[in-house]
Amino acid sequence: MSEYLLEMTGICKSFSGVHALKNVNFKVRPGKVMCLAGENGCGKSTLVKIISGVYTKDEGEVLFEGKPITKITPAEATKLGIQVIYQDLSIFPNLTVMENLAINSEITAGKKLVNRKRWEATAKEALSKIGYNIDLNAKMGELSVADKQLVAICRALLFDAKLIIMDEPTTALTKKEVDALFKTARQLRDSGIAIMFISHKTEEIFEISDDVCIMRNGENVFAGPTAELTPQQFTYHMTGRELTDDHFIPKNVSKEPVLKTEHLTLKDKFEDVSFELHKGEILGITGLLGSGRTELALSLFGLEHPKEGTITLNGEQVKISNPIKAQKLKIGYVPEDRLTEGLCLQQPISDNITLSSLKRLSNAIGLIKNQDILDDANIWKEKFSIKTDDVRKFASTLSGGNQQKIVLSKWLSNDLDVLILNGPTVGVDVGAKQDIHALVHNLANEGLAVIIISDDLSEVVVNCSRVIVMKEGRIVGEMTGDDITENNILDIIR
Amino acid sequence: MLAKIKEFSSKNNYTVMLLALMVILLVFFTITKAGTLWTVGTWKGIVMQFPEFGLMTIGVMFCFISGNIDMSFVALGDFAAIMAVRYMAAHTAEGMSNGQVAGVILVGLLIVTVIGAIGGVINGVLIAYLNIPPVMATIAMQLVWLGLSTALTQGYAVTGVPSLYTEIGHMMLFGFLPVPLLVFIIVFAIAAFLLKFTTYGKKLYMIGTNVKAAKFSAINTKGMIIGTFVLADIICCYGCMLMVSSMNSAKADYGTSYVMSVILILVLAGVLPDGGMGKIFNVLLAVVSIQIISSGVNMFSNLNPYHASLIWGGLLILVLILSTKFTGGGFKLRKSPKKNK
Amino acid sequence: MNKATIKRITGRTEFWIFLVLVIMCIGIQIASGGQLFESSTVVTILRAMVVDGMFAMICLVVMVSGGFDLSFPAVAALAYALSTTICVNNGWCNTNPLIGFLLAIVIGAVLGMLNGWIIANFKLNTMIITLGTQTFFIGITMGLLELKEITSTLPVGFRTFGESYLFEVTNSAGLRSTMTTMFIPFVLLCIITSFVLNKTMFGRALYAIGGNEVSAERAGYNVKRVKFILYTVVGASAGFIGMIRVCMARQSIPKAMVGKEMTIIPAVILGGASIFGGEGSVFGTVCAVGIITVVSNSMLLMGIDSYWQDFFNGLVILVGVTVSAIQAMRRRK
Repeated sequence: MSEYLLEMTGICKSFSGVHALKNVNFKVRPGKVMCLAGENGCGKSTLVKIISGVYTKDEGEVLFEGKPITKITPAEATKLGIQVIYQDLSIFPNLTVMENLAINSEITAGKKLVNRKRWEATAKEALSKIGYNIDLNAKMGELSVADKQLVAICRALLFDAKLIIMDEPTTALTKKEVDALFKTARQLRDSGIAIMFISHKTEEIFEISDDVCIMRNGENVFAGPTAELTPQQFTYHMTGRELTDDHFIPKNVSKEPVLKTEHLTLKDKFEDVSFELHKGEILGITGLLGSGRTELALSLFGLEHPKEGTITLNGEQVKISNPIKAQKLKIGYVPEDRLTEGLCLQQPISDNITLSSLKRLSNAIGLIKNQDILDDANIWKEKFSIKTDDVRKFASTLSGGNQQKIVLSKWLSNDLDVLILNGPTVGVDVGAKQDIHALVHNLANEGLAVIIISDDLSEVVVNCSRVIVMKEGRIVGEMTGDDITENNILDIIR
Repeated sequence: MLAKIKEFSSKNNYTVMLLALMVILLVFFTITKAGTLWTVGTWKGIVMQFPEFGLMTIGVMFCFISGNIDMSFVALGDFAAIMAVRYMAAHTAEGMSNGQVAGVILVGLLIVTVIGAIGGVINGVLIAYLNIPPVMATIAMQLVWLGLSTALTQGYAVTGVPSLYTEIGHMMLFGFLPVPLLVFIIVFAIAAFLLKFTTYGKKLYMIGTNVKAAKFSAINTKGMIIGTFVLADIICCYGCMLMVSSMNSAKADYGTSYVMSVILILVLAGVLPDGGMGKIFNVLLAVVSIQIISSGVNMFSNLNPYHASLIWGGLLILVLILSTKFTGGGFKLRKSPKKNK
Repeated sequence: MNKATIKRITGRTEFWIFLVLVIMCIGIQIASGGQLFESSTVVTILRAMVVDGMFAMICLVVMVSGGFDLSFPAVAALAYALSTTICVNNGWCNTNPLIGFLLAIVIGAVLGMLNGWIIANFKLNTMIITLGTQTFFIGITMGLLELKEITSTLPVGFRTFGESYLFEVTNSAGLRSTMTTMFIPFVLLCIITSFVLNKTMFGRALYAIGGNEVSAERAGYNVKRVKFILYTVVGASAGFIGMIRVCMARQSIPKAMVGKEMTIIPAVILGGASIFGGEGSVFGTVCAVGIITVVSNSMLLMGIDSYWQDFFNGLVILVGVTVSAIQAMRRRK
């Protein structure tokens, strides 16, 4: 019997000639939490799919409990005791908690008829594994993300899981919920189950993991106990660059604020939010999920409508009823979720870039020349070095970073006073991230007022000249200049 | 030259496929029925018949591109036609001059336009503001309009269409251009212009692809959807008015089979209710192909119109299956764009 | 009964649709001066529910799985028209309609298989596929095979089966109505559908696929096979229901089914099924069909011209879909 539950050596995998994984090695110990860390697109999910049998590896060796595994199907992976909890949790929103818990094992057992009593017993057994309590008859779709996740974990435990893989489980959780999840994870760990936890959040990795495997561009650059690393080394391995302490220093901040909110309140989302924004500065608004940061941004863009409080723009009180009004008031917004809110993926890059500025490109009665659209798009392509040979190609052909540049150009091709960026570099590779940061610095120096909303603290620290921290819908702290450090923010945020 | 053709065909799968289909059809009917196919009478029939559903197809195309579907257009059009014919019948009398009758007809057409616009606004509001899935909203409205027409006419055809109206409908301008075809050409030209050269057209494709992203890009998505239904339903109502001139009456259930054939034509042309895709030129090709099939089938005395429906259905299934092969599943339909996780 | 249970019951569409049915019946009963609950009226309404109710059942199972079937009327029409034609030509079914029913079921199953094969193997919009097959099947029925209307020559077996009845009632005015035997297959189909949906793993598979197809696949269901079986069974049932209709109407008219889907599907949606799949129940569907049948059949009782029937049906459905859309919007907030 090997000391390790799962050992992977020299794993390679390529898709149509492109290497997704190059010589990956790591080991998972039973009764330990192993973190698989890395930025987006580094090959984490490919690796998980190889373990769970969705993909087959090209080269390398996989040992599970010391026995070599050559070919594996998802069903066999389940039999071995490997359970994957995907990001979408694989639940049925239209069925009850009980059904969600029991259905997988019923199918695996080859049952033909439904026996409510047996289902209920199975469901109760599943819940008892982690001592979790929830109404079995509640509809799955009506639960919170955290509850859904716990149900998914219970379901996985029914299969005598030896290894549970969790794919980015904390993405949509509040801090409290993350704590509860970690508690459960530790409980499982102590009962001898190995947990593989996929994440890119430094803080969480240091909090929960015993071992860590860091991946970058399909290779693993570090594998070993987490204790051997300092956060700085960890970030270096993740990004491949030394963390610089260069703060953005604004060159010319206007005296008068361009945007001012007073006692802004949106029921159940945020309360009594007052702040000022000057031209030339980059204001960071940070806080955990559910702190009201996104709703605040949406209120400034006309997609949420605070009942109380005022918004003043260039000294004039305004009411922002919808995005069209916001655009007229020279406010731009780069949304949080690029794929669903930012882009029309199956449309040309050029049309995406010019979508908000069609009025400028057309004549008085709405006539527009295709050439004008292409010309305009090409200007932005050059300016932001968007990597494509033809702007007539679909936006879906680009990488995350280049897609984000499209969304940015869409707003920058308008004449703006205020630009709000919500999570500007989520899912963006390191190179493009630096490009985008540099670009935002330039814009601020040219006199634009920028708001960056982000929970990526390093991003906030590097880019913002002033930071507002939100917690449970209220502003709980503000800092400027050298006071802006990750530790200072963390102190308030907790 | 060859390279250019290759490039064209790789970019315009559908255009090439539809052109090929048309050539195959023409060759087939030339071999089997050369004597009947290449006569003035046959082609006159073709160009007189397709404008009716051709107009409706163009109308519904706008809905499809915007990511919606309309099932109510024929019922609405019949209702509008019934109201217009009733008005025209009541206000024309023996001995009126052509000028006076023309005035009455114009008012009749105005009534059609207004009713079409009302129907469009209702559809648009149900979908954009009440978030009812388009299929459900428009099926319900279809029943409402059909029910209204049936109740008002007790299921009878409404007659009394001014003879001037039917005369115009059958007139050949310059001896070769039938008026319905002229109407179709004008509407086609306007539609093509709207899609190709205006910001409306650009925005329509973007809304159809991702309505949420369009909203976040400061586009008035609700207004656009309502406007699109108004435009589409007015065009469809005019299609029904062409039907009035060929039937010389209006009835609650004229042309009900057009609902399905119009959707079929659009899918054949690569315009899917998913939105954001499709070219108007392909729609033209598909409309004409479908008409050639029915006219062609008509030339065989032992065949009935349902043989055409056999070919249409088979063709649609074939195209759907082929398209998944060609595009590697790029033709997959999002089941519910509104169901974001 | 604790609060949560009450909330769960009132949160269901079925509860409201049932409530609407009850209130509407009481309202019409009062407005029509007590005519609705006359035994003969009740029997007439139940009789009118048979065919639509059965079609609604097959529509329901397809919708639960997230599909949208436009082709079932065409399948039914081809199955019964071909089956009766064969029976007439061979002189079958003059005493026993069994062979005719079996033929229709087999034909329906074959057509259903075609639907199922395409839907299972090509990930396309089911509404558009079934629009294609619908057109194709209509083409076969009336084009390729040129099946004719069969009225007076309909085999006696069908006729007597259709005329048979369970019991007879007489109302106060002395008007006699009969309760058709066909009501039994209707009730049976409802019970079977309900059993399959709720008590079998196949039924749970339909809900699971309708809820989240990818998860269903991951959970271990063979989604392709489930879909193929579903559409085959639906086709077979459509053939069977078509024959029931022939017997009840005592004639076989190939065209009679055209456009039927446009009235059945809205009724199923009214009953709580979602066009996105994963929702819907037999009880809700029966109530919705009940509402629509009661509305159409009580027009005369209320002194409203029966030509308004379609209009009121449309209105009922419009209100139904609007209410459920608004509910969905509230839930999202």
